[in-house]
Amino acid sequence: MTLVDDLQAILGPDRVLSHPLELLVYAKDAGVTPGEAVAAVLPETTQEVSACLRVAARHGVPVVARGTGTGLSGGAVPDEPALLVVMTRVDPAWEIDAASRCAWVGAGALNLDVSRGIEGLGMHFAPDPSSQAACTIGGNVGTNAGGPHCLAEGTTVVHVLGVEMVTASGDVVVLGSAAPDPIGLDLRGVVVGSEGTLGIVTRVLVKLTENPPAVRTLLLTFDSLRAAAATVSATIAAGIVPAALEMMDQPMVIAVEAFIHADLPVDAAAVLIAEVVGLDEGVDAEAATIERIAVEQGATSVRVAGDDAERELLWKARKNAFGAVAQAAPNYYLHDTVVPRTALADVVTQIYEIAERFELEMMNVFHAGDGNLHPLVAYDAREPGKAEQVQAAAEEMVRVSVAAGGSLTGEHGIGLEKRDLMGLVFSPVDLDAQARLRDAFDPDGLMNPGKILPRGARCYDYGMSALPESEPS
Amino acid sequence: MNPTQAQLDACVTCGLCLPHCPTFRLTGDEVASPRGRIAAMGAIATGALPSDETYAEMMSFCLGCLACEAACPSLIPYGEMLVGAREQLAKDQPSLAGRLRRLLAGRILNMKWLLALVTSGIGILQKLRVVGFLPKRLRLMRGLRPLRVFPHSVLGVRDHTPAEPAGSVALLAGCVMDEWFPEVHDATRGVLQMAGFQVHSPERQQCCGALAAHEGAGEEARRMAQRNVSAFSGYDYVVADAAGCSAHLKEYNQWAEGGESVAERARDVTEFVAALIDRGLLPTFAEARGPVAMQDPCHLRHGQRITAAPRRLVRAAGYTPVEIDQDGLCCGAAGLYMVYEHETADELGASKAAEIQATGLTTVVSANPGCEIQLRSHLGKGYRIVHPIELYWESLS
Ligand SMILES: Cc1cc2nc3c(=O)[nH]c(=O)nc-3n(C[C@H](O)[C@H](O)[C@H](O)COP(=O)(O)OP(=O)(O)OC[C@H]3O[C@@H](n4cnc5c(N)ncnc54)[C@H](O)[C@@H]3O)c2cc1C
Ligand code: SF4
Ligand code: SF4
Repeated sequence: MTLVDDLQAILGPDRVLSHPLELLVYAKDAGVTPGEAVAAVLPETTQEVSACLRVAARHGVPVVARGTGTGLSGGAVPDEPALLVVMTRVDPAWEIDAASRCAWVGAGALNLDVSRGIEGLGMHFAPDPSSQAACTIGGNVGTNAGGPHCLAEGTTVVHVLGVEMVTASGDVVVLGSAAPDPIGLDLRGVVVGSEGTLGIVTRVLVKLTENPPAVRTLLLTFDSLRAAAATVSATIAAGIVPAALEMMDQPMVIAVEAFIHADLPVDAAAVLIAEVVGLDEGVDAEAATIERIAVEQGATSVRVAGDDAERELLWKARKNAFGAVAQAAPNYYLHDTVVPRTALADVVTQIYEIAERFELEMMNVFHAGDGNLHPLVAYDAREPGKAEQVQAAAEEMVRVSVAAGGSLTGEHGIGLEKRDLMGLVFSPVDLDAQARLRDAFDPDGLMNPGKILPRGARCYDYGMSALPESEPS
Repeated sequence: MNPTQAQLDACVTCGLCLPHCPTFRLTGDEVASPRGRIAAMGAIATGALPSDETYAEMMSFCLGCLACEAACPSLIPYGEMLVGAREQLAKDQPSLAGRLRRLLAGRILNMKWLLALVTSGIGILQKLRVVGFLPKRLRLMRGLRPLRVFPHSVLGVRDHTPAEPAGSVALLAGCVMDEWFPEVHDATRGVLQMAGFQVHSPERQQCCGALAAHEGAGEEARRMAQRNVSAFSGYDYVVADAAGCSAHLKEYNQWAEGGESVAERARDVTEFVAALIDRGLLPTFAEARGPVAMQDPCHLRHGQRITAAPRRLVRAAGYTPVEIDQDGLCCGAAGLYMVYEHETADELGASKAAEIQATGLTTVVSANPGCEIQLRSHLGKGYRIVHPIELYWESLS
């Protein structure tokens, strides 16, 4: 029996895809690199996921979990021909525990659907990636997704209390629990951000966050990026942690405005969207402080969203920023690095210099509040040498961020695209420890192989001892 | 006419359209998603893979609801791409079922006499109360208004001209609109006359060609559009009271030589009348007649980005619009889709009906004939499904 036959025996013919055209459709996520699937399956239950993994293990075929494929770093793209397990249909009835403010939801549930589903309880799921209408909770767990509002609330790892996961051998484990201080090793924390390399998450115990009583959203415009960045640092220095603090540069604003028609200030060099939440009096005071700081730093205008509709429009503008770049060029490369907030203005300036040097068209949109930069390079991959140029510029941008005390990825994960840069932030010993942890879950290396860890991350792969001095291979 | 490279390039595969796509919501399958369909169109257009049955099915399964187009921050011209891909498919894989569909959309619907005959026939069946026994595929029969056994047409009508007309309007008679929804035309004519417009429904016009275009019968669609360009010349506005038709008229620049002249003057009746109300040329009534459920036809909401206008009409008529779903997911009618992909159409229709039932309201406002038929066939007795212009005209008269 072939792999496909065995899978069809479990799922029937309709939920096992193997036609070349169907597989081509699954070759990519929202990033740039395509991969190859040998088959794609659409299971609906934990049992079906488990059965599929057993079949894959028996055939020795690697397995890659996929949510809705909005990932930007190739996490859901097979690095070697693999079985794609598409999780969108795995969404059994939710178990909502309003009193304990948590709920078991399916890994295939869409992020925004979860928040909408508990709207009536006055609660929401806090991580709100810009892709939140489209991405799955399972994918959020896989990448430890963040979002504009994670500045104050923290990223996915803070909002996931437990996971139900199927391991490479097909066993079902439950890690973590609703208990405030669970006993044993915190394997839940290990799974969040593991990009499907430890197993496939089927259900997630999410923490529910109460909606704030009051919200104020400000749109601040500046005639230089530096002034906007300085406003960010000064705001945080003033002791205010806004719920969100987001920045867009002029090319980005122009592209977004073409889609959204929200009367955005297309003349400004940079705009900041700041949001404060809390009690009525508190938010007014904080909004006033931010406004004052912004004006001191040279803001050219301040607009406060008048109502929910205007607020939603501003967020819609921000959250559609990535997609809007294709108006400029057919391909885009999206960076995702973190720098200390104090270094924001400097790193941003350097990044513009790099783009200029490589003659690349760049747009910027980022979670300024936590120093998470997302420079976007729009380019045409068919132009000879362009893709390499973009890649080279990308590496340089990562290097300046890391040099300023930053990190490799803010939220999009390592995936394929940054795997080989891991050596920039981790020593061989660090990498080896990670590789051993991974082996403990997946001894045969079948779960999303080639992701996160560079090849040869295990020192023993090369018969080397784990010497700190040795070069990362 | 496969999509061009420039059109394909507009998709950056971000996936933001996925949750807006009804077929993706139903299946969770990238193969049934806008991004997947675009990738497939690309593979065929570039010759990477052959045009085969799987591809044909992928293109056929798409509702053409344009929700993806409206959701795409990269401004993908999805509708145009789909229509092109289907026309190419008609050439590359001329299946019998496809031929029948194109015959129906491209020719039969444009044959006045035949449509009149069919209408009378259905009118008789309705009187005999046998419509409920028709096969599931013909569910739409259950969603029709009571048809006239002796049909009459608005074609050639020239409403009496006011002394100083505010402007001249050519009313698109349409194919099934003319035969099956005469009350909507009456309301449109009444309201426009009251606002001081001279309203004609030029005799030499044809079906707008939207259905033909969506089925891949491009040649027929172009022929119809070309005839309409001359039939509608000389009028200040071309008004349609079916959202699918007004959407298509606005794209005539793609379908006929000189088509931009129609595209520029084309208006959906809801936006046209809402603007007249806003300018104080038509009255508004106190909102005291109670709540009604609003259903947004895809070709109004996604295709033309019109949502405020029908609500304006409803309010002006004295009713309170109530929303039934946040995203405006397609009801499953989607032109001929409800006939040939009836299982999916039924699933979508049933969930739309459930949303309406959950509101407890029994009057549903929809500005498109296909949606009206679909909603009625799923809601059954006890519901009134009505065009916003009818509600407004009732209040006026
Ligand atoms: C326009 C746009 C805006 C974005 N904005 C943000 C943002 O603000 N913040 C942010 O953090 N990200 C953002 N992203 C990236 C992306 O949306 C997130 O990484 C998201 O969490 C991915 O979810 P997904 O369902 O699409 O997962 P996929 O892309 O399908 O998968 C992502 C990774 O998770 C793994 N995975 C998926 N499901 C499971 C599962 N059930 N069990 C185990 N592993 C699994 C995959 O193997 C892969 O490694 C954005 C993307 C786009 C296109
Ligand atoms: S939203 Fe637009 S760019 Fe993004 S995947 Fe859909 S069609 Fe492509
Ligand atoms: S037109 Fe409608 S059904 Fe077709 S891909 Fe777009 S959203 Fe989906």
